[in-house]
Amino acid sequence: MEKVLTMQRVRVGITSIVVLVMACVASAQTSSVNGRVTNQQGGPVADAEISLVPPPSAPMPGMRMPPASPDRTVRSRADGTFALDQVPAGRYVLEVDAPGLARSSQEITVPTQQTFAVSLEAIEVPGGEATSAGAAAAGATDTQALLDRIKVLEQRLSDVESGTVLSEPETRVKRIEVYVDKNGNEHDEPVQGAEKKVTYQRERVYRRQWLSEKLEQAFADQDSKKITVGVSAASVTQFARQTSGDPAQARGHAYQLASADLLFSAGLAQYTSFFADIVGLSGAPPDAEIHGLTLLNSYTARLVRQNEVNVREAWLRTELFSQKLALSAGRLDLTNYFDRNAVANDETTQFISDALVNNPTLGLATNGAGVVGVFDAKNGFAFKAGFQQSNSDATNLSQSIFSLGEVDYVARPPGLSEGNYRVWVRNDNGTARNRSAVGASIDQKLTPIFGLFGRYGTAEAVSGRDHFYSAGFQFQNGFVFNPLDFWGGGYAQTDLETGDHERLAEGYYNLQISEKLRLSLHLQHVFESPAGAKSVGFLVPAVRLQARF
Amino acid sequence: MANAKRFLIVGAAALMIGAALAGTHVRAADVKVADPTSVVMIVNRDSNEIAFMDIKTRKIVGKTFLGNNVNPHMVMMSPDGRYVVTGGTRANKAYIIDARTLQLVKVIPVDIAPEHLAFSPDGRWYYQGNPEGDSISVIDMVSLTKIKTIPGLVEPLNTVFLPDGSKAYVGNYGAHWVGVIDVRRHELLKKIQIAEVPGVAKLDPAKYLGEIKGINIPQITNDGRYLYATDTDLGVAAKIDPREDKVVKVIRVGKAPWRIYMNHDGNYAITPNNGDQTISIIDLRTDKVAATLEAGENMTGVNFAAGKAFVISSTSGFVYVYDMKTLRPAGRLKIGSNIQLETATTDTADEKIYLADSTENAVVIIDAKTEAVEKIMNVGLFPWGTHIMDSKDNYCH
Repeated sequence: MEKVLTMQRVRVGITSIVVLVMACVASAQTSSVNGRVTNQQGGPVADAEISLVPPPSAPMPGMRMPPASPDRTVRSRADGTFALDQVPAGRYVLEVDAPGLARSSQEITVPTQQTFAVSLEAIEVPGGEATSAGAAAAGATDTQALLDRIKVLEQRLSDVESGTVLSEPETRVKRIEVYVDKNGNEHDEPVQGAEKKVTYQRERVYRRQWLSEKLEQAFADQDSKKITVGVSAASVTQFARQTSGDPAQARGHAYQLASADLLFSAGLAQYTSFFADIVGLSGAPPDAEIHGLTLLNSYTARLVRQNEVNVREAWLRTELFSQKLALSAGRLDLTNYFDRNAVANDETTQFISDALVNNPTLGLATNGAGVVGVFDAKNGFAFKAGFQQSNSDATNLSQSIFSLGEVDYVARPPGLSEGNYRVWVRNDNGTARNRSAVGASIDQKLTPIFGLFGRYGTAEAVSGRDHFYSAGFQFQNGFVFNPLDFWGGGYAQTDLETGDHERLAEGYYNLQISEKLRLSLHLQHVFESPAGAKSVGFLVPAVRLQARF
Repeated sequence: MANAKRFLIVGAAALMIGAALAGTHVRAADVKVADPTSVVMIVNRDSNEIAFMDIKTRKIVGKTFLGNNVNPHMVMMSPDGRYVVTGGTRANKAYIIDARTLQLVKVIPVDIAPEHLAFSPDGRWYYQGNPEGDSISVIDMVSLTKIKTIPGLVEPLNTVFLPDGSKAYVGNYGAHWVGVIDVRRHELLKKIQIAEVPGVAKLDPAKYLGEIKGINIPQITNDGRYLYATDTDLGVAAKIDPREDKVVKVIRVGKAPWRIYMNHDGNYAITPNNGDQTISIIDLRTDKVAATLEAGENMTGVNFAAGKAFVISSTSGFVYVYDMKTLRPAGRLKIGSNIQLETATTDTADEKIYLADSTENAVVIIDAKTEAVEKIMNVGLFPWGTHIMDSKDNYCH
């Protein structure tokens, strides 16, 4: 029994020693963090929160930062002193918070013999609710604090003056929904017997705005209410050098055609706008002497009468069904809606030969009255349908009607960039019987800088069919002198059922001189092979100067 | 002996309980946000506050008022989730908010018109860009003080840190170079010109001397290996190797690219080109433009979710959608008429997009998969941007 008791004493003794050793070790590895919290005037801040949090540390690669571990927090006593005991050795951030006062934060290393003197500044929230501590701090404001405050205000005034920031509120009108009862009383929330109505109300906001921004906005607001006027002007100079066939009238002649379009647009209502294009042309294009199946200068298609101004387009456009369907009606140029080939569709910047701008089998000779609808859900598919009168001598709307339909698709063939693929069908009642035509138009980027295009069309003629083909390429952003230059080449062939043929090739380089001015050099070659007659060929160098602003 | 044993056991227990109590988290102010990843932060520019919306309940759980005439611009949470910071553009101050209590804990004077900001990866440094002061204010997140102002920049918009935190890259919108900052010394180390101004620029003073629209942000790739920076005037995206701090590739994109946004899979990046209303999709494996697609007007941001890109067209009221597998257009979402959309953030699951709809005082939630749209009204006046901790699409405009 005595032996058992002795053994128990030994065990208790060992346990006691182990516990004591652990306590001593624990005591050796921890220490206290002491300090005092005061306000700016040196007064004690009682009940402030004093926390120890881990310092920022770099996250492991590929890992997000772990959330901060729980704080160790104590409160300051009535005299502002505090003590955090049993703090393990290491690096910490000592944070001190009190209502209405800015947080104090500093990195410390434990163990430390330092007694931390923490002075909290008042936090300034203009327009915010005053706190009791903030009010107390304000109450204790002495003369020096007031002088400091005046200094800060002077600096702020100087900043405002130097920055010319507008302090006036901005006025904005908002569309709001309200609830109006039988007595005409307006409520912000639904009430019994009140109907929901839409009204408009002004609100004022304060925003940092520089004078320049305010002026810019005012000008933009004015502009949005005005008719916008744009100008597109071009001068095309061409030279004809005969390369084959019997000597022709055009041999060695030079030609020039100047064109100026005035473009007007204005917003009329929500999603409804008006557009007009008034054009004047003057000069002699080569097409008056080289009688080809297509025009050597596509601008010639606009030439109605020399030195006269004509209305080329004038239409209204409105957008329906979440702006998916756009309807345009008036005097139209349907080539702006159908067969919009990205590489070969613009005589102002790309090819100048009409055979490389349009598809002759579309058959539109002149602009006229019509309607076109474009349904585009912006998912890569677009559907277009329209009709247009293409005879300025028609006496009623039923004559010379061209009806067109087209399906567009944006594709990305494997390994290639995007391309646009279109098929269209057209019907013309301008002759004794309806004549139809079908065609396709493709533009496909093979690389980011190199794209191809191709067109095909076949049209019903008197007894057979006319056929048209064209193909070519364009380089953009590559192999150019200046970054925004581009160049291309193309070939077009027209075969009529009458046996007339035309083969045309063109190359061009378009140089950007400035944002609004471009110069392009062209070289065309055309073979005209009329049925039963000898072929004739012309080499036609050309220069085009194009301004748009 | 028994008493001694009892004393020792009680003493040890008291020691342990005391230590446990000392470690207990106590806060006087209410904890309004327990999980920093659970909220969307909304910058309300005209009501001068940051609103916090619970992602699950879609309720505003708190707002931190910053003071009259502050006009906060961009908000961001510190990497450790402890703080939310914003720059008050009108007040020329940086604001630090406790992310749990939503209390404003510090206001720090910075330079003129603070807008965009960034944290170093370790959360130690908060870089506040001051576009009108041509500087960056460096704020120490331990002492919560401004320790330095880095001068010599030209309308600095966005700053991006390398993953190792050694350098930061600054987009200068008033110039055509990216600034490289040594984060150890907080000094401008180098200027990287991302592309040459074309020779014809001298014939076009109205464009090149009238106003510079340079570099918005040098955006870092998901693997942290390269940076891509677009220049709005020059119409290019430049690839920068941060190991040598030099441009290794210049990619021409559409006209007037606003900035570049990285797809979450790391294969593609998108530049919204406001000059020709297109987007350029850049294949980051080949550094070539994989597709140029039609888009809307005044684009202010791109978000990625559910395998799609959502491109915000600010003034049209539409968000354009693109399939990032086929690189083809996939429709557009009508958010409203006569409204102005700002920027958006994507949740960490890549499922929902939170879009600031400023003129309606609303946040629009877009379900990326179904493309359903829900508006949360009255979040504050003129919400300018949103932010979710750890989102891959946290940006501002």
